This record gives sequence, structure tokens and C-alpha cells, in this order.
Amino acid sequence: MLLHVLNRAPTTSRVYQQALAMMGEEDRLLLVEDGVQGALPQMVRHFSEVHGRLFALREDLASRGLLGRCDASVQVVDVDGFVHLTEQAERTVSWY
Amino acid sequence: MRYAILLLGAPYSHQASHSALRFAHALIARGHALQAVFFYHDGVHNAARLAAPPQDERHLTDEWIALHAEHGTSLEVCIAAALRRGLVDEREAVRHGKSGHSLEAPFELTGLGQLIDLGQRCDRLITFAP
Repeated sequence: MLLHVLNRAPTTSRVYQQALAMMGEEDRLLLVEDGVQGALPQMVRHFSEVHGRLFALREDLASRGLLGRCDASVQVVDVDGFVHLTEQAERTVSWY
Repeated sequence: MRYAILLLGAPYSHQASHSALRFAHALIARGHALQAVFFYHDGVHNAARLAAPPQDERHLTDEWIALHAEHGTSLEVCIAAALRRGLVDEREAVRHGKSGHSLEAPFELTGLGQLIDLGQRCDRLITFAP
């Protein structure tokens, strides 16, 4: 299982499509930095194929005033949870 | 586990340096070892010896140095990316006829082979990009 980390919002970059195309069935996707915008209810449809495997970084949501505004399907983790995800994953791939 | 960080983003331009520092402290707090940070592309600017941000702002270069002092993390800077951006240590300054140097220990100029080595030697390599 690989952890994919995405720091771009779907509205500003299409790199999320490349990330999704490369993801295996068990892989997880963590949204960080401006990427956390993808966790909002109006954006999360872009990530429907990784339903249940989509995470967003709490600190980056908070710094953008988006904490508590995520879609219910997104799992919010703090930076400690980010490290935990990298422990569980064989490798980590960053998309930017 | 043994971790390494690859940092590609310039300080104060992108969030990458802040994200990487936050991740570095979190992994150490969880009991892991951060073997090295490899600074590449515009990330080499994190090593600028002459950086002097306002006092009420975070001093990213000093924070990397503190990480080295407290946890023994090596701070490796890609020499090819550094030299073309004006980041030279004393030895390279002399070699290129420059009147001053802009990079000093604990940052060390090194080659890409070192990054490959880190990828093989460490259990996890995490990239922070602009």
C-alpha cells in the first residue's frame, strides 16, 4: 500500500487526475496544503474513486479556516496522523 | 524507523519548508529517527547563511540548524542546485573566485548520489515540494 500526498487543489491543477490514475486499489490519498480544498463537500466528487481512502491534514485545514467544513467521507488527521500514515505505507509519493 | 526528507521548495515562497519542518518534529516525537534532510531545486535556499528574516518571523535556516544540533539530522545540499543559485561554502567560494561564502556547516554540499543512498538506507523518504 502506498501513500499519495497531494498539495494542489482540483480547481488550480489537474495533477490530482494523474495521482488518481496511478493509485492502486489499496492506496491512500492525503490532501495537504492547498490540496485540502479538495476535501470540501463541493469538491470531494473529484475523489469519489478513492472513497474511504481519502484523508486531509488538520493543520492545513485550520490555517485556511476550513476545519469542520470537510465532507463527512473525508478522514481528518493531524501531523501525527500523517506520520502514522507514512509508517503504514510501504512508500510515499508526493504529487505537486 | 529511519526517515529522510527531500525538500524542493524555497523558504518564504511556498509552504514546503514549513510542512517539512512540522513533519520532521512530528516523526521525531513519535520515536523515529530523521537521518537527513536533502535540499534540492529551490529548496537549497533553506541553507542560506545570510538569511535575516524579521525577528517576529520564523527563521527557517536556524530551525534546520537546531534540528541538526538536537537530533543529529544531517543537512545535505545538492551541490549542482546550490552553486548555480549562489549558495557556496568557503571551499567552493575560493575555487570559483568569490569574495564570500553563503553556506556553512552544519549544512554540507553533496551530490545526488547521496540522495540515492538515502533512499536505499532509510525506511521512508518523504518529499515536500512547492
